[in-house]
Amino acid sequence: MNVSTAVAVSGLTVRHRRTVALDRLDLSLGPGVHGLLGPNGAGKTSLIRVLATVAAPSSGRVELLGGDATSHRERTGIRRRLGYLPQDFGHYPAFTVREFVAYVAWLKEVPAERVPAAVEHAVARVGLGDRIDARMKTLSGGMVRRAGIAQAIVNEPELLLLDEPTAGLDPEQRVDFRSLLRELGTEATVVVSTHLVEDVAAACTDVALIESGRLAFQGSTAELTALGGESPDGNDSTTHAVERGYTAALHAHRTPSHTAKGALR
Amino acid sequence: MRPSALLYLRSRALPGALAALAGTAVAAAWAAWWLESRPDFDHTARLPVVVLGPLLAAAAIGSSLHTPSDELDRTAVRAWWPRRLAHVLAPAALAVTLLALAVPGHAEQFGALAAVRNTLGLVGVTAVAAAVVGARLSWLPPAFFVGTVYLAAPSTPGGGAQWWAWVMQPGTQAGAWTVAVATLTVGTALYAWRGARRVTGES
Repeated sequence: MNVSTAVAVSGLTVRHRRTVALDRLDLSLGPGVHGLLGPNGAGKTSLIRVLATVAAPSSGRVELLGGDATSHRERTGIRRRLGYLPQDFGHYPAFTVREFVAYVAWLKEVPAERVPAAVEHAVARVGLGDRIDARMKTLSGGMVRRAGIAQAIVNEPELLLLDEPTAGLDPEQRVDFRSLLRELGTEATVVVSTHLVEDVAAACTDVALIESGRLAFQGSTAELTALGGESPDGNDSTTHAVERGYTAALHAHRTPSHTAKGALR
Repeated sequence: MRPSALLYLRSRALPGALAALAGTAVAAAWAAWWLESRPDFDHTARLPVVVLGPLLAAAAIGSSLHTPSDELDRTAVRAWWPRRLAHVLAPAALAVTLLALAVPGHAEQFGALAAVRNTLGLVGVTAVAAAVVGARLSWLPPAFFVGTVYLAAPSTPGGGAQWWAWVMQPGTQAGAWTVAVATLTVGTALYAWRGARRVTGES
């Protein structure tokens, strides 16, 4: 296997009771910032949770950072090098930002003598340095989300998984966050699940589009944009172009299955 | 103490739980003394103390099994089961010690032995409950069990009742001890293995 491939999954299937969240998904991701796009319920969160090793797949192979994530022993090493921002991450409300991030550093087994500096660095990177000793329960939604990003990067992960990281951020914070993403993408593999195409247009080098648990499109952001073709009305922004590409890729993916269903009727 | 260990203890609200344990022991000691000092009562009147004291202690331990950051905790590098085991057994050992001291004398009746047995057994029930219904409601099944047994148990000790009404038995009944220790073993093992059930909508 290529050592620079941080994520290599094949035949990944995840079932929740009777519904199939991921259906024999094959995906491999290398360094850079990958936007994980797809309609609501497409399986983005299921995929991120499997990659974060918090959920076990029903079947399939999951290789992360060169190790087998389904093996108990290799998972330990993987988790040290993994950062994860869940969509809803709980926190002990009486913790300060510093304590919350230090708690996660402890979970990730960052060496104790490096924790204080690592915590301050991570918190500063998300722009919360001036609120580092504020209690989590006193923070606004956007600040809590940034504290969440800080805990995800405290161990300087090689694989960073962010599930809806821009939810709750105001436009200025989103701009700052995207530049942080680009910075992180130079040294790690970053997977960002989002349904904001402007996040993808501004920060992601590559895109994986998931629909009904299957991979509908994978390529660079430019390739997705190209799928959308020329704008009919001439005045076009990048966001619009990516949006059209997104829609075109989804349509292209859906069409064969629709004709198959039509033939059955 | 290492700062990381303190963070763990605080995230589970363990300082509060330990304070509740101490408060329970003090209240139990006072109630036992008061009941015994009533003119028509003797040491056998301490039965409610050796049942309710351990129940409250178990509830305090059970509520501390709740984690606010379940999803993040799952990404921990090290396996959780040793920490979970310690999290049940260490406070249980403390509760056992405190409650044993709260009811001095007459261990063969409703004294230290019964208090220890009931604490161990009810911590076991609470641990099972935390794994099955979640930590926040883990006090409910043992409270229901104790309430039912308190009303239904026959007044004579021993016999078949020592197996199901083990919390109501005098301290020296072997059957009641067997059930309590088995419950503790099953409860701690189940909790260490599975952790508290995650309940959606909890913060």
